[in-house]
Amino acid sequence: MTALIVLFAAAFYIFFYFTYGKSLERNVVRADGTRSTPAVRLRDDVDYVPANKFVLFGHHFASIAGAGPIVGPAIAVVWGWFPALLWVWFGNLFIGSIHDYLSLMASVRYDGKSIQHVSGELMGKSSKYIFEVYIYFTMILIVAAFMGVYGALASKSPEILTASVLFMVAAVVEGQLLYKTKLPFWLSSAIGVALTILSIVVGFLWPFIKCPNINLLYVFQVIYIILAASLPVWFLLQPRDYLNSYILWGGIIISSIAAVFAFRGFSWPAYTSFAARVISGQPSPFWPTVPLVIACGALSGFHSIVGSGTTSKQLDNELSGLFVGYGAMFMEGMLSTIVITSIGAFGLTVFQGFADKIAAAGFDLAKMKVDAGYFGQVGAAVINSKDIGIGGALGIFTKSFGQMLNVIKVPVKLGETLGGLWASAFVLTTLDTTNRLARYAFQELVEPLKKVSKGLHGVLADKWVASILAAVLGLWLITKGGNMYTALWAGFAGANQLLASIAMLTAATWVKKVQKVGKGMLAAVLIPTFVLWVTVFAALVWFLFVIVPVSAPALQVVLGGFVVLMLILDIMLVINFFRSWNQGQQNRATEA
Amino acid sequence: MKTYFFLGKGGVGKTTASAAWSVGLAQSGLKTLVASIDPAHNLGDAFAVRIGDRIMHVGDNLDAVEVNIEDMIRAYLDELSAKMKNTYRYLSAMNIDGYFDILKNSPGIEEYATMEAIKKFVALIGYDAVVFDTPPTGMTIRVLAMPRVSLLWTDQLIKMRKRILSTRGMVENVQGKFEAEVDGERVVLSSSEKEDPIMQELVSYREELRTLRDMFSSEQSYVNIVTMAEDLALFETKRIIESLGTFKIRVRTIFLNKFFAMANPPEEIKGKMEEQEGVIKRMKAEIRGIEVKDIPLLRKSPRGIDELLRVYSNYLV
Amino acid sequence: MREDATFLIRKQLDEEENIFALLTMGVFSGIPSPPTGVVLRILPHMSREISVMTRRSAGLDDVFAQTLGTFDID
Repeated sequence: MTALIVLFAAAFYIFFYFTYGKSLERNVVRADGTRSTPAVRLRDDVDYVPANKFVLFGHHFASIAGAGPIVGPAIAVVWGWFPALLWVWFGNLFIGSIHDYLSLMASVRYDGKSIQHVSGELMGKSSKYIFEVYIYFTMILIVAAFMGVYGALASKSPEILTASVLFMVAAVVEGQLLYKTKLPFWLSSAIGVALTILSIVVGFLWPFIKCPNINLLYVFQVIYIILAASLPVWFLLQPRDYLNSYILWGGIIISSIAAVFAFRGFSWPAYTSFAARVISGQPSPFWPTVPLVIACGALSGFHSIVGSGTTSKQLDNELSGLFVGYGAMFMEGMLSTIVITSIGAFGLTVFQGFADKIAAAGFDLAKMKVDAGYFGQVGAAVINSKDIGIGGALGIFTKSFGQMLNVIKVPVKLGETLGGLWASAFVLTTLDTTNRLARYAFQELVEPLKKVSKGLHGVLADKWVASILAAVLGLWLITKGGNMYTALWAGFAGANQLLASIAMLTAATWVKKVQKVGKGMLAAVLIPTFVLWVTVFAALVWFLFVIVPVSAPALQVVLGGFVVLMLILDIMLVINFFRSWNQGQQNRATEA
Repeated sequence: MKTYFFLGKGGVGKTTASAAWSVGLAQSGLKTLVASIDPAHNLGDAFAVRIGDRIMHVGDNLDAVEVNIEDMIRAYLDELSAKMKNTYRYLSAMNIDGYFDILKNSPGIEEYATMEAIKKFVALIGYDAVVFDTPPTGMTIRVLAMPRVSLLWTDQLIKMRKRILSTRGMVENVQGKFEAEVDGERVVLSSSEKEDPIMQELVSYREELRTLRDMFSSEQSYVNIVTMAEDLALFETKRIIESLGTFKIRVRTIFLNKFFAMANPPEEIKGKMEEQEGVIKRMKAEIRGIEVKDIPLLRKSPRGIDELLRVYSNYLV
Repeated sequence: MREDATFLIRKQLDEEENIFALLTMGVFSGIPSPPTGVVLRILPHMSREISVMTRRSAGLDDVFAQTLGTFDID
């Protein structure tokens, strides 16, 4: 079954790449191999430099693949593996990959400007501002959600905690080797990879760093992200990013092989119930809330930022865009497919290993195996229970992953540690990234305060204040939230999907006004755009009325406030969109 | 070599004092150069001879020059402009000539050119003494302070440049020599201090500044103030001494010029003479460690070497 | 591969050179600047820094495009 699903997914994506994808390229983007891209035209060898399309694919994929495609599906399997797969396949196909591809190509046509800038050009300056506000507020949510996810995992697995700490040390050493010595590049890289593998092995054999108290882990993370964002980039960030890409590719290769050769049936329920208790233990209707759970892997607004940030400036030829932008998103879909596959096949084996603890916590494992509806009610609670100790969404993934790798003779705990380092390396990367972003983002945000109170502005616009504030607010949210990271994850995913909405609306405007595409292909862009917008709007309203009221009181204000803000901005966005749709708009893009 | 600076407002008799002093030095056997770096040149009048912006012989052991600062600035900027046009063959963003017009009025360009002039004369071999007739006080103080002020900035720029070179070095360790395209040419960006032309300029500039700063503060440098015996002048003199003190520059002598020395003063002048007495008394009391010499109001301004020598012998030493 | 290992560092270098250019030649943009003497001495060697500064100023209307590529959020 595992092999079947993985191979089917591969065939699915390949088929649609060459049919649907090529059609988009021909009829919507009208990619022209003879038209020079900004990388060629504006070449400055710093930002604008044409890159080989395979290399660029690697970069782009590594940038968009983080912990998202792993965590989201691992939460969503409580609906059953089938609905989760459906969204990863069809959500990706009809919305996600189009979103990635079009935002990349629109940016390419606008000299490599960011998609936010393009939206400002096409839909009015307020759209650009809305984009900015989303990004700033999302920073806090990301910190909270990701800290929660890592905390849940690491507090229950000393192996993974040890490995991730040792990995940080390895990264620092790698930094010294690469940048401060004259060692040949291949040698420093080889040493770095060896140290990474060593971290995993040591974590597996001698898990000497234990932290059963999850709050301590949160504090550790807060200190880590502020520190990481303050040190020179060559010291930790750059070498760590470099080694991360080895982990990513290594992980994908190993897991693909294991998935194909596992030859295991899926014991996990295919479908539990439409409104399984996925988010915050509340009945969560699959539609509209699945985008609040599976973001990356199916659809992610942050991809448009990455695409128009770096990738669009390095595209050597318009015809490479499909492979890089569209293809990378499909690849991410494959990654999420493998995640779901491993849980589908081995998730219950993991549960079986915790049978005593599950019973002690008051859940009926035998009933879960036969009663899908019951599974949907308690599945998430079992996964997240501190007493049972599976370790949350990442826990069920890494443990299933360990079981899956065991098929190719890797010791279970070793495989689990590998999966754990993979996920946690990316979680930690995202965490310190948000802190870096928050430093200058906060300054933008409090800019209007200058007119109100110079003193207050002076204090808030300080980069240390911004940095500590972002980290501490995130910390506050996750601890006050009773460690229910699913709610915060949903908040983050919601913001993410709204970013995707803006990008899709921009792409749709571009497709109509600049590309002047015919009705048929226009529908291929417009319908997903509206389905997305309606879905996310409905999901946010649901979130406001179902999740916020059951959250911890302190959380209610913040989360509730944020959701209301998002809803307001969302409406403003759509108004902008309709206005610009009908008016003639000035644009400087190259017409196809 | 010894250097002498005569500071003072316009009209207090700076030029006469510096001219007379230079004559006296020359007389005592020292090869002397007297240079006017005051835009309002009066040196020629003092010597009753036309003095141009080339060094010329005006007497035994004595050379004189009136520096044309405006010309110096223009010549310097022209040279720079030529260098720039050569380096930036086609720089899209900047209209080079246009920018150099702005530079002419940039705050600090006059001070900079004056400092360059001082540097030039101090570097000349063959003189035992150089005497400077300086611009009005404010400008001169800024000039004397320049080495110190510029040093602070240059140190910071050197630090910043070191960081850039270090970052380049890190990239080099991974990717080999860092090349970039600058104005259509491929250029190697060095990471070593010895090969970076900017670092070399900064370092050599810092050396020159240090030399100048040390020179201004050294024992071989005599900074004198020429002023008049009036209340306001006293305040100003004290301020100048304080200012220069913060730059570790010592004032040696205060010359009180145009002093009323009359046996039988008419009524109208008695008040002035009392003021004078008061000022001298307070000056001697409040300003320590500095010699105060008074030079009487002469019947007519001294002109020519002989009259200047007489002023020197009678009043300055 | 090598570009991967130096991406962030090269971005930092770009910014450092930009700042150096702004500090020393801010006089051209109305920024109070170090004493003219220093500027004039190093100006003939600043062609690279000037082109960096010009390129960065041209891109200031879309800071996101310049910076967001360095952030790994997903």
